[in-house]
Amino acid sequence: MNAFIQALANGVMTGALLAVPAIGFSAIFAVLRYPSFAIAGWVTLGAFAGWIANTKLGLPSYALLPVAFLAAGLIGGVVEDRSLRLLRPAGALTVAIGSIGLNIIIENVIRFLAGNDLRGFNLPLLPDWRFAGIRIGPQQAENLVMAASIMVAVFLFLKFSRFGRGMRAVADNPDLARLKGIDPKRISFVALFLGCGLAGIGGVLIGLDTSIDPLTGYRVLLSVFAAAVLGGLGSIPGAVAGALALGIAEELALLVAPPTYRTGVGFVAILLMLTFRPRGLLGERAF
Amino acid sequence: MTILCVEGAVAGYNREEQILKGASIHVAAGEIVSIIGPNGAGKSTLLKAVAGLLTLGAGRILFEGQAIEGTDALGRAKAGIAFVPQERNVFGTMTVAENLSISAFLDPSRAAERSAALYARYPMLAGKKGALARTLSGGQRQILAMAMGLMTAPKLLLLDEPTAGLAPGAAADLMDAILALNAGGLPILMVEQHALEALEISHRGYVLVAGRDIATGEGRALAADPDIRRLFLGG
Repeated sequence: MNAFIQALANGVMTGALLAVPAIGFSAIFAVLRYPSFAIAGWVTLGAFAGWIANTKLGLPSYALLPVAFLAAGLIGGVVEDRSLRLLRPAGALTVAIGSIGLNIIIENVIRFLAGNDLRGFNLPLLPDWRFAGIRIGPQQAENLVMAASIMVAVFLFLKFSRFGRGMRAVADNPDLARLKGIDPKRISFVALFLGCGLAGIGGVLIGLDTSIDPLTGYRVLLSVFAAAVLGGLGSIPGAVAGALALGIAEELALLVAPPTYRTGVGFVAILLMLTFRPRGLLGERAF
Repeated sequence: MTILCVEGAVAGYNREEQILKGASIHVAAGEIVSIIGPNGAGKSTLLKAVAGLLTLGAGRILFEGQAIEGTDALGRAKAGIAFVPQERNVFGTMTVAENLSISAFLDPSRAAERSAALYARYPMLAGKKGALARTLSGGQRQILAMAMGLMTAPKLLLLDEPTAGLAPGAAADLMDAILALNAGGLPILMVEQHALEALEISHRGYVLVAGRDIATGEGRALAADPDIRRLFLGG
């Protein structure tokens, strides 16, 4: 029973970390209508930006989030917008394939600049908290709080800000949005900035939880994609629900199968969802 | 004074097949102008061309005396043309209040003031502020779509089949709402499948057939013309 509750707790924490880049992935899909696999590269870029701010500048963990957001958001927004814009008229599949190529380029640029080694963040060593037979690391708990705060901030941005509402309008009905004077090019850039920035924050959160290397983003790409499909591609609350469900499923799978099968959970989730409920848990609702 | 002048408009959804084949119309200040004609005549295409959703193959569009055929939909919205499409004319996943405020995207500083005025004009919307637009009835949705068009304080309102799919009572209410708007001085150009009702409330009308305007006149005169009645108004 304890093992089950422990797996459940771990699942919520894993899910919360996945949810942040999954929201980014979904935000880009909702507005630009293509799955951006380059998100893996922006996760890694954010992780390295956070790592530099932490180990070279001595910033504490919470201060790394804005650094990663701005670094991945600005570089990701500009690079992805510029490099894939020409492919957009050719359709979503072409852009998606282009984004896989872009991801390989980002990954290798980072490898060229930072090397292939595993790197850890400079964090105080703290003993785990224990209660009722459950163990939770203080850093994990902090990550959970940070991930939840980011989700609340994204919610507030989409609900109340001019550009957040503009993003929802374009996601809902791009033609009508254009008639209302909402410039699709500007909103596309806002969506890319937000999506890539959130991927970057996801990278820092993953790095704080484990360690980072040039493949950090690539390793979670399948889970992020599965979470977004599970929740309904393009749906922001769906991405959160999908990420939590997937995180819990991955941790529970560890109770019955060796860790090597963990990534299989993502594939199975995509397969089951596309077979039985293709529009996802929440579907349609962009927000 | 002429607000809108379309001269010899040629336009379509692809180069091979032009739907408008030289249509000319104009709207003067304070007028309601209806375009009637059979299905496929190019009525909605003409509105879309004016709104900037289609590019002209030939012809001119003057708005307040300025040529606007080179500007896109965004430019025309900024110039003061509001287009209310026939379908998918509200943001279904957003609330009524959000639909109104997002429609003032170009001028957010006046959004609160204009929403308040529209809630006073259409109390139904005030009662449904927090409801998602997709949960509204057909008539309510059309009122919301029209109100969204008014959020930019337009100088010309384009309505594409505003009463399509509405029950007779709701359609009559909507026609009243259109008349009330025009009474405030707003020029309106509309395409309407209920041609007789539309001509009854219009100052002038145009009959569009196969992409060309073949007849024009005062609304009631067109509605009373025996040939037009026989051919286009069902007897």
